[in-house]
Amino acid sequence: MPESIPAPLIIDTLKDTFREARGGTATEPLGWILSVPDTHQKTVLAALDKERALRVVTCATEDEANAINAGLWIGGEPVVLMIQHAGLYASVNTLRGVAMDGRVPTFYMIGLLQRERDRDPKESRHSMVRFAEPLLDTFGVPHARLEGPDDVHLIPEYYRLSRERRGPTAVLVGLETI
Amino acid sequence: MAIKPEDILREVAAARGTAICVPTMTTSPAWRTLAPDDLSVGCSGFMGGASSLGLGLALAIPKRRVIVFDGDGSLLMQLGTLATIAGARPRNLTHLLFKNGVYHTSGSQEIPGGLTVDFVQMAKGAGYRKAYAVSDFDDFKRRLPSMLTDEGPLFVELHTGLADKTPMTDRGGQPFHQQVDSLHQKLRKAG
Repeated sequence: MPESIPAPLIIDTLKDTFREARGGTATEPLGWILSVPDTHQKTVLAALDKERALRVVTCATEDEANAINAGLWIGGEPVVLMIQHAGLYASVNTLRGVAMDGRVPTFYMIGLLQRERDRDPKESRHSMVRFAEPLLDTFGVPHARLEGPDDVHLIPEYYRLSRERRGPTAVLVGLETI
Repeated sequence: MAIKPEDILREVAAARGTAICVPTMTTSPAWRTLAPDDLSVGCSGFMGGASSLGLGLALAIPKRRVIVFDGDGSLLMQLGTLATIAGARPRNLTHLLFKNGVYHTSGSQEIPGGLTVDFVQMAKGAGYRKAYAVSDFDDFKRRLPSMLTDEGPLFVELHTGLADKTPMTDRGGQPFHQQVDSLHQKLRKAG
């Protein structure tokens, strides 16, 4: 059964991911979060509000987040995009045009709002949960599920993978964070 | 008389110094000729994204000016970017809007609202530090130095005619991923 992940664990993991990306260099900000606020990850967003080491840019759309990510990456900055599955659907053209065609490393944390605790996402009653992984598969985007605290190691792994393959990767946040 | 976009670009090319430029749509062919191998990355394949791309660059490299050459049809596609840019407060971002009132590349169909759309008011309302319109070339030349040094985010609506070339009539230039890679490498070397 999936479990909710505590926000502090995700924040610490993001910090470690950014520290590694910067090769241990102390920098302010340590890294960037591009967020189109996701209800599913609201405890993380609330915790980020109090974080001084990470800079959050709240974007009006996921299309913007993809393009801002490209600019930050070109300028050498480490970035994580926090969005919701509905936002993934809304921004398919920039996923294609920026992250894929532009070969821009792009790491998404995608909240699966309304994912049922007792069902596999592919069997969900909700189309926005059900179609997320098939959509990523269609575009050839490597992805993994964060099904509980033991899975947070996937955050740095898929972040690194996005840099290695010069393109998009994603982790799907299974249950609402706490 | 509307300003020729190529005249504006020529002046910017001469005055920009080390600024990064982000052209899109009808400014792209002329900019390729005026600044063939430099610190630029064009927004192509994701219409409306130039200002967001510019915002990312401006946040990443706060010591360097970033100039976006946006289009009115393009900006309408992702209008929320005005609020996002204003909220992020990049002091080094200059957002130039080439306003011609039409979708030039697809046959000059009028944009929604045509030339009556007031982007200056939108930028001001979103919270840009400064926003104004320029409709005279001499006025543009006089104000250009401050456009490149004033604290941003700065928005300038330029009342222009149609460019001589569009990405449809003058295809070419590097694919987007090569432009991305080239600028990434150049900025890394620059430190």
